[in-house]
Amino acid sequence: MGEETINALAGVNLEISQGEFVSIAGPSGSGKSTLLNIIGGLDSPTKGNITVDGQDLSKASDSELSSYRNKKVGFVFQTFNLQPTYNALENVALPLVFAKVPLGKRNQIAKEALETVGLGDRVRHKPSELSGGERQRVGIARALVNNPKILLADEPTGNLDSKARERIMELLTELNKERGLTLLLVTHDLESARSADRMLHMRDGEITEAVDRK
Amino acid sequence: MSFADLLRTAFSNLRRRKLRSSLTILAVVIGAGLVSLLVSLGIGVQGFLTDQVRSLLPSDVVMVASNPDVFQIGLEGLGIGGNPQPIAGNQTGGFTLQPLTQQEIQEVQGIKHVARIDPFIILRADSVRLQGSQARFRTDVRPQPDYQVQLVPLVAGKYITDQTRGECIIANQYLEVFGFNSPEEALGKEVIIQVTQAASLIGLPAETREYSFTIVGVTEKTLSSTEIVISLTDGEDMSRFWANTPDLYTDKIPAAILQVRIDSSQYADAVAQEVKGLGLGEITSADVLGIIGTIFGIIQAILSAFGLIALGVASLSIVNTLIMSVYERTREIGVMKAVGASKGTIRILFTAEGAAIGFLGGAIGVAIAYVLGFVIDRVSRATFLKDFQSFNISVFPWWLIVGVIALTTIIAILAALYPAHRAAGLDPIESLRYE
Repeated sequence: MGEETINALAGVNLEISQGEFVSIAGPSGSGKSTLLNIIGGLDSPTKGNITVDGQDLSKASDSELSSYRNKKVGFVFQTFNLQPTYNALENVALPLVFAKVPLGKRNQIAKEALETVGLGDRVRHKPSELSGGERQRVGIARALVNNPKILLADEPTGNLDSKARERIMELLTELNKERGLTLLLVTHDLESARSADRMLHMRDGEITEAVDRK
Repeated sequence: MSFADLLRTAFSNLRRRKLRSSLTILAVVIGAGLVSLLVSLGIGVQGFLTDQVRSLLPSDVVMVASNPDVFQIGLEGLGIGGNPQPIAGNQTGGFTLQPLTQQEIQEVQGIKHVARIDPFIILRADSVRLQGSQARFRTDVRPQPDYQVQLVPLVAGKYITDQTRGECIIANQYLEVFGFNSPEEALGKEVIIQVTQAASLIGLPAETREYSFTIVGVTEKTLSSTEIVISLTDGEDMSRFWANTPDLYTDKIPAAILQVRIDSSQYADAVAQEVKGLGLGEITSADVLGIIGTIFGIIQAILSAFGLIALGVASLSIVNTLIMSVYERTREIGVMKAVGASKGTIRILFTAEGAAIGFLGGAIGVAIAYVLGFVIDRVSRATFLKDFQSFNISVFPWWLIVGVIALTTIIAILAALYPAHRAAGLDPIESLRYE
């Protein structure tokens, strides 16, 4: 009897520069998502340090971490995670609610974010009235709305057809290049991974391979 | 999260599950409605009784008696439970009375804020009949000072003054038995009041006399249905005959009980304390109302308990609803955390949802009780309370409305604590994976 401790991450030593596009590939259970969640402030390492923009996340309190998630990072999920009862605008405005932005200003900022992702004409649509690619654009607009420094995308194209996948990747790359957003992309898709400045490969919680493509 | 957003989110979440929210709110409505309606009816009845007591014993009056025990009310004073009370010094004890002494009366007169002292006239009339009729009826003749006479509204005629001789005000209930069709018809008619001397009360030989009075006023219907009010001067005459004591209410034999009027009712208690200090008996309307208040407090507490039980059950329903909600919205909670909601925010969001249920349930419950109370009030006044038009059976003071809504909101917030704690403690990563 007894419990076996499994380290989701072990001996990971990684430095990412501002504005960099890093892709992380690897089989399921290799620790890609855990790494992303730790960088995103959703998870805390049991040991070790993580510093983002000068802030030590491993020592941050819950309210500091939530404020960090609110202002510094934006999450893009494989399953979009949109609120089905909210329309596109309300979904995008959600982070602004927690940032205490007043309603009028919130709608304005959210509308601008939707325009950025090319959905200026879908503002009042519910997620069920949108295609998969459009839903993911709403998800990206939500990640962008609070003007974060880092975009964390966990298999953002995993549920999309190849056409939509291409366009989402275009959008993400564009945001990285033109807005200078640091982009971390977890993906199975080799083609998507290749568009990054740096490709990381993970296995059993360790980074086994790093390819610099610049 | 701003307060406005908190409210907006809480109410929109309730709208999302309309049927479930409505049922939970309904449970709160029933509890809140029961509590507020029962308390409201209690306030109404108590208010009515208070008015009735005030017309018999005005709030700016202290009754003073020679015997400190005579006004001792309460169960112990009546010999129910408790130890037998000792009798002090030269007192006769029990309910017996002796005339007050001149010195005692002067001492009472000297107390600050005492405005007026009248004898309390004790008198027992046998019957009353209308002049020219042989039909006799029971009656209670009440000689009263003018300020007290004016406390009961009249439906016809005028009040009597202290100087009035041979005029009376009759209780509304006499109209029917005397055969008058309207109160105005009674005005100017003569009534004959028969008095037999007090000795007859214990079967001793006694004389009987008849006194004639002109009806000058008819009261609104009150609980004092056999009351005939006359002036103090007329009352003193009749009482002297009744007691067979011609010197009664003079310096030789002063009254045994005084009706002492104060400048203002706010001093009644202070004056009563000083009277007590003189070794005399005293009672104020506050004492009597205090007893009524205690009895009503107990009745209301028992009735409200039913409503509170309903609210207790409703709170379980709130817990259940919110726990279901936490399960259903696990993923949503994960997203909210990912985009910047702290544990505290999630906690307050679910607490606000509970508070919204409690607030809505309380507000709707009070509103329904208010309407029901209004209907009960109208129906009862149109039927069995027809003649008691000043009786508001259902009374909703602002504190009852605010209090019940606050109570249901607080109960709902308490019920929401556990579900909110659970929601706040969810792991965001697992929540995002939750299917």
